[in-house]
Amino acid sequence: MTLPFIEKYRTNNFEEIKGQDSAIAEARMFLKTFPRKKALIINGPAGNGKTSIVLALAKENNLELFELNASDLRNRASLEAVLKPASLQSSLFKKSKLILMDEADGITGSDRGGVPELIALIEKTKFPIIITANDIWDKKFSLLRQKCQIVNLKELNENVIFDIITEVVKKECKKITPENLVLIAKKSKGDMRAALNDLESVLNLGEEIKIEDIDEREKDIGIFEALKRIFQMPFDKKTLDVFDDVDMEIDEIMLWVEENIPLEYYGKSLAKAYDSLSKADLFKGRIYRQQYWRFLVYQNFFLSAGVSASTKLKNNEFKKYNKPTRILKIWMANRKNAKKKSIVLKYAKFNHMSKRKAMKESFLLPLIINNKMKKMLDLDENEIEYLEDKKGALIVSSGLNRFRI
Amino acid sequence: MDNFDDSTIWTEKYRPKKFEEVVGQDDIVKKVHSLTRAMNIPHLLFAGPAGTGKSTLALIVVKELFGSTWKENYLELNASDERGIDVVRQKVKDFARTKAIGKVPFKVIFLDEADALTKEAQQALRRTMENFTNTCRFVMSANYSSKIIDPIQSRCVIFRFKLLEKKDIEKRVILIAEKEKLQIDDKTMEFLYEASEGDCRRVINLLQASSSISPNISIDLLNTLISNAKPADIKIVLEYALSGDFIKAKEKLLEVMLKDSIAGTDIIKSIQKEIWNLQIDNELKVKLTEKTGEVEFRLVEGSDEFIQLEALLASFVLAGRGVIK
Repeated sequence: MTLPFIEKYRTNNFEEIKGQDSAIAEARMFLKTFPRKKALIINGPAGNGKTSIVLALAKENNLELFELNASDLRNRASLEAVLKPASLQSSLFKKSKLILMDEADGITGSDRGGVPELIALIEKTKFPIIITANDIWDKKFSLLRQKCQIVNLKELNENVIFDIITEVVKKECKKITPENLVLIAKKSKGDMRAALNDLESVLNLGEEIKIEDIDEREKDIGIFEALKRIFQMPFDKKTLDVFDDVDMEIDEIMLWVEENIPLEYYGKSLAKAYDSLSKADLFKGRIYRQQYWRFLVYQNFFLSAGVSASTKLKNNEFKKYNKPTRILKIWMANRKNAKKKSIVLKYAKFNHMSKRKAMKESFLLPLIINNKMKKMLDLDENEIEYLEDKKGALIVSSGLNRFRI
Repeated sequence: MDNFDDSTIWTEKYRPKKFEEVVGQDDIVKKVHSLTRAMNIPHLLFAGPAGTGKSTLALIVVKELFGSTWKENYLELNASDERGIDVVRQKVKDFARTKAIGKVPFKVIFLDEADALTKEAQQALRRTMENFTNTCRFVMSANYSSKIIDPIQSRCVIFRFKLLEKKDIEKRVILIAEKEKLQIDDKTMEFLYEASEGDCRRVINLLQASSSISPNISIDLLNTLISNAKPADIKIVLEYALSGDFIKAKEKLLEVMLKDSIAGTDIIKSIQKEIWNLQIDNELKVKLTEKTGEVEFRLVEGSDEFIQLEALLASFVLAGRGVIK
C-alpha cells in the first residue's frame, strides 16, 4: 500500500524540520525546564510543522506520545475520561509521557467545559502537555494562554518549501519541470501539507492537466474580461471601472496588462500603450513614496483608459491572454543568485565596501577568491564550489587558457 | 619569495595603512593627519568618486586614533545596503550610546555612501549627531556632497577627493607588480589607467584576477576580462528593438537583468552609453537619447523598473523601425 505523501514524508527528527529553528529551541527548552510551565502551546498556520516538532521532541527525549485530537473530543466528560488517566498514571513501560493535544482550535464554543477542563488538567498533570493551534489568540483561549508557554511558528518560506518538494521528487525518482515546482511552492503560501498534496496530484495525474487546475482559474476569468474590454472595445466610461469586477490587487493587474500589451498592439500603439503603463507606474511610485493615495485614481486611469486609448483600431479576434511570468522568473533568478549574493556580501564586509559596489566587481571574484581565502572570508563548501564552477566556466568561455604559460 | 602570498585579497593587502601611503590626495591627507594627531576629530564628510581613498583614509584615522582597540571603537555602516531610518535609529544609536574604550573619549562611526540614505534618515541622523557629539564622531563618505542635506553638511568638515591621476595609479601598480612579480609594460599600464576610470580598487582587482591566469599582464588578457564585465548583451537588446522585434528585445532584457541581478538604473546607464556605439545616424541617436533621459527620470520616480524599461524599448521600436536589419 502506498501512503499519501503527507504521511510518507512526515518527519520525526529535528534535522529534517526546516525553517523553524528558534521554535525548536524553545520547545526543547520547555521540556528541559518542565514543570516550570506545564504546558506549551505551539501556534501557527496550517502545515508548517507543528505536529512534526512534537513528534521529533518525543523521539529525541524517548517519550511515549499520548496523542489526543480535540476535534474528536466534544465534551468535558470525554476529555476527563481520556486525559486524566493519561496524565496521572505512569506509563506501562516506565517511559515517561508527552501529551499532545492536537488542533486545539477544534474545541469550539459548543464544547462547553472543554477549555476549562483542559486548564484543570494542566494544573494537575505530571507530564508535559503540548497543545497545537492555528489561532491561539482567539478570545475563547484567553484563560488557557495564561497557563501556558506560547511558541509562535512562522509561515514557511517559499524557498524552504521549494527545497523540500524538490527533494521529494528526487526520492520518488520522478521528473517535473522547475517552473511547476515553483508554482506549487508559491501557491502553497507557506503550507507544507498543501504543497505535498499538490505535488502528489501533479505527479499522479501528469503535469499538463493538473497545473492548470492548481492555478486559481476563477480568479483569471475576471481579468480576461477586463483585458478584452481594454484592448478590444472602444474606449468609453465603462473602461474606467473595468477593474471593479477583477478579484486582484492592482499591482497584479498591472502585471497582466504588461504581459499582454504586445499581444494586441504593435508599432505606434505599442509605444503609446507602454507609455501609459509607464505613467501608471509613475503614480504608483509616488503613492508609495508620499503615501498620497489620491494618486491611485491616476494609476487606475492610465492603466485602464490610457492603455485602451492607445489605438482606435480595435479588433475582435479571440486572444488567449497570458499569465504574467515575470515575477516567477525573478523569483527563480533570485534563487539562482542567492549563493553569489552571499559570497559578495562576505567579500564586501571584508573589504570595507557596500554590497552594491561589490556586486559590480563580482565578475572578477571567481578569479580573485581562491581556496586559501576560504577561512578568511568565512565561505562555506557550497560557496567555494560555486566559485570553482564559475571560474571554470569563465576560463573556458573566454578562452583564458591561451594566456597561461 | 617570502612576500609572495596568494591567500589574501589584494585590495585589502595593498590598502594603504599609513597616511604617507595614500596617493593622489596630498592636501587632504595632510589636513586630516594633523586633525588626527590632535586626538580630536570633528565630524568629517569625505566626498568624491569611487576608489579614490575615502574608506581607506577613514580606516587610517581610526587605527591611528585607537591603536589596537580600533575594532571596539569603530562601527562601519554601508548606507546603500542598510538605508532607511531604522538603521540610524537603532544601530547608530546603540553604538553611540556607550562610552569609548581607551584614552580617546569618543568612538567613530563610518557611514559609507551616506548619500544613499533617504532624506528622512538623514534628518534623524542630524539629531543623533548632536546628541552624541561627546561620545561619538561621524565620518561620512559620499559620491556627491550635494545629496547630503545641508544641516549635516554644516556639521561636518568637508573634504573633496579628486579623481586619481595616471601617476597616482601607476605608483600603486608598480608597487604591486614588484611585490607580486608581475610583468606589465608601458602600454598595458596606459590601458589599465584607461580602464580604471580613476578607481584604484578596480585596477587592483583587475590585476589580481589577471594574475590568477598569468603573471604576464597583457592588454589582450585585461581586455578579455573586462569584456566579461560589460556584457555585449545590452547591444543585442537595442538591436532587437531597433529591428522592430519588441518581444525578443524585452525577453533578452529581462534575461540580462536577472542573470546578474543588475538594477534598472545600471541598465539605463549602459543603454545611454551604448546608443553612441550603434551604427545609426546621429539624428536617431539624439532622439533615442532623449527618450532614454525621460525614462531614466521616470525610473527614479516610479516603482517598477522593468515596466519603465519596456516602455523605453517600445519607443525605440517605433523610433527606429527597420533601421537595423
